[in-house]
Amino acid sequence: MFSQDNFKSGHALRVENVSISYGERTVLKDINFSVEHGQIVTILGGSGSGKSTLLKGLIGLLKPEKGRIELYGQDISGTDAEQRLEWARKRIGVLFQSGALIGSLTLGENIALPIQEFSNVPEEILPDIVRLKLEMVRLGGYENYYPAELSGGMKKRAGLARAIALDPQILFCDEPTAGLDPVISAEMDDLLLELNHLLGITMVVITHDLPSVMTISDWSIMIDGEAKGIIATGPPAEMENSSDQRVYDFFHRMITQKLR
Amino acid sequence: MNGGLPFETGRSPEGEIVVSFKRPLVFENAAQAWRELSALVTQKENASLVFDLSEVSKVDSAGAALLRSIQRLCDRKGVRLRIQSVQPSIKHFLSYLEHESPKKEQVAPTDSFVSRVGAFLIEQSVEFSDFVKFCGSSLITAGRSLRRPGMFRWNESFYYFQLAGSDAMSILFLITFLLGMVMSFQAAIQLRQFGANIYVADLVSLTLTRELSPVFTAVLLAGRSGSAFAAEIGTMKIGEELDALAVMGFNLTELVTLPKVIALMMAAPLLTMWANFAGIMGAIVVSAVSLDLTPYSFMHEVYAGLTVGDIAGGMLKTEVFAILIALVGCFRGFQTGMGADSVGRQTTSAVVSGLFLIIFSDAILTVIYYSLGW
Repeated sequence: MFSQDNFKSGHALRVENVSISYGERTVLKDINFSVEHGQIVTILGGSGSGKSTLLKGLIGLLKPEKGRIELYGQDISGTDAEQRLEWARKRIGVLFQSGALIGSLTLGENIALPIQEFSNVPEEILPDIVRLKLEMVRLGGYENYYPAELSGGMKKRAGLARAIALDPQILFCDEPTAGLDPVISAEMDDLLLELNHLLGITMVVITHDLPSVMTISDWSIMIDGEAKGIIATGPPAEMENSSDQRVYDFFHRMITQKLR
Repeated sequence: MNGGLPFETGRSPEGEIVVSFKRPLVFENAAQAWRELSALVTQKENASLVFDLSEVSKVDSAGAALLRSIQRLCDRKGVRLRIQSVQPSIKHFLSYLEHESPKKEQVAPTDSFVSRVGAFLIEQSVEFSDFVKFCGSSLITAGRSLRRPGMFRWNESFYYFQLAGSDAMSILFLITFLLGMVMSFQAAIQLRQFGANIYVADLVSLTLTRELSPVFTAVLLAGRSGSAFAAEIGTMKIGEELDALAVMGFNLTELVTLPKVIALMMAAPLLTMWANFAGIMGAIVVSAVSLDLTPYSFMHEVYAGLTVGDIAGGMLKTEVFAILIALVGCFRGFQTGMGADSVGRQTTSAVVSGLFLIIFSDAILTVIYYSLGW
């Protein structure tokens, strides 16, 4: 399993010159950025800008056409990267947009699944780990519920509980607040911050929810569909006053010229 | 890494057993720590234990759960446990496990055999009555649609007609050709003893046209098309496509069910004829090769023995099967609940119900034909 001490120095995630295409169509071109340990980095961008494509690249579901993605110094992007990708996958958590819980299993079983598969913790203490995770996402007592019995916000929190089941070092979240009401969105942000502080989890959060961006990010990266790449980086408070019209419009919810 | 036993044991001046943890309590050493600690607690019933965490810098989820589980074991065994010198950040982490939220209990089935049988029968009869209602409403809608055939979505029907019909021809040919061969072999073994080789032709052609071709075609349709209908409609339901269509004012029976039923009604008789042809071809090949029966004499015997009534009876059967298969496939699709597993369950039951209905209606039709002297 994983020890934090080995990775105190250096970057948690480093992306170098990455380009991703779907067939002929290039979605992202020459992406460069890195994420330091313990940071919460948000990746912003309008709908269709390639945010989710980038996420798929980062977690190894899409092979980049060129470039290099390093998780804790291990290249997970090359053609020979299968083994390193497997290594990395046990150390990352991913919260999918819909929660992606397995419908035929209860919440408890959903969370226990990766723990049983990838660790050797004894059966006696497994229920307590599951309970701990559910308490952390404020779903204590929901072990025996099925995903279909939960609301959207609860499903996302349950998905988060499963994503952190093995205490990952880095957590990727795909639009954690999409489709949630403002109060529950704020709760979700709160939860992510708490996990970041308490467990020191590094987070890469894909979102276009502005209040959420302002609350949780240490650092933001904005990508643009037209430019097929990063158009701005920095703390969100600075980006808000960016001189780049595209960034300014995004932060001030203005309709850009081309849409009028 | 954090392998190895993470603690040492000693005794305090007051006679308490002191367990001093020396390393982080994490996933890697949780199994070993649990073995050692639970053995310690079990051996020293009614003793006093102190866990000293002053040197522990990190406790992860497994570590926290381990401490909680040991605590519970101690409570059961009457061991007094005190955890001391916990760092504040770890204390906060452990606090999540202090209060146990009330759980929804999983209801284990405690019913008796009789009540379970009863519940099963009630469930089946409710399902059956739902199916009858579904068939009835489909029939009414069909009647309404056929009064204005120009409005009907024939393109949709032809699409399914191709999927269920022409795409199934190769596999159906293979199956019934081999079936014809096997039947003529089996029949020949018996008939040869009486020098009645020629009657192989009558036997094979009659059995195929009256019974086996319709049934085999129907089984194939249930497996290929009935299941596909259920899966398609089920997936549409999960994706809220059916809700969207209903809200736009479409009649779901007319839009979703009828094209499929009509497609199977068109495909089934043609496939049955195809199966008759393939089966007889198989029988001719075997007869020619091993029974010294020329194809000409075989066909001559078929023409003499087979009546139009035999073929028409088979066609009527196959129409009934096709309607039932399409309806039960759509019915199961509409029954889909939430989740991917529900689509799988309904697809399975579309095939199972389809097969049951084929055999059941076949039995009824055979009795009717017999009593009418067909």
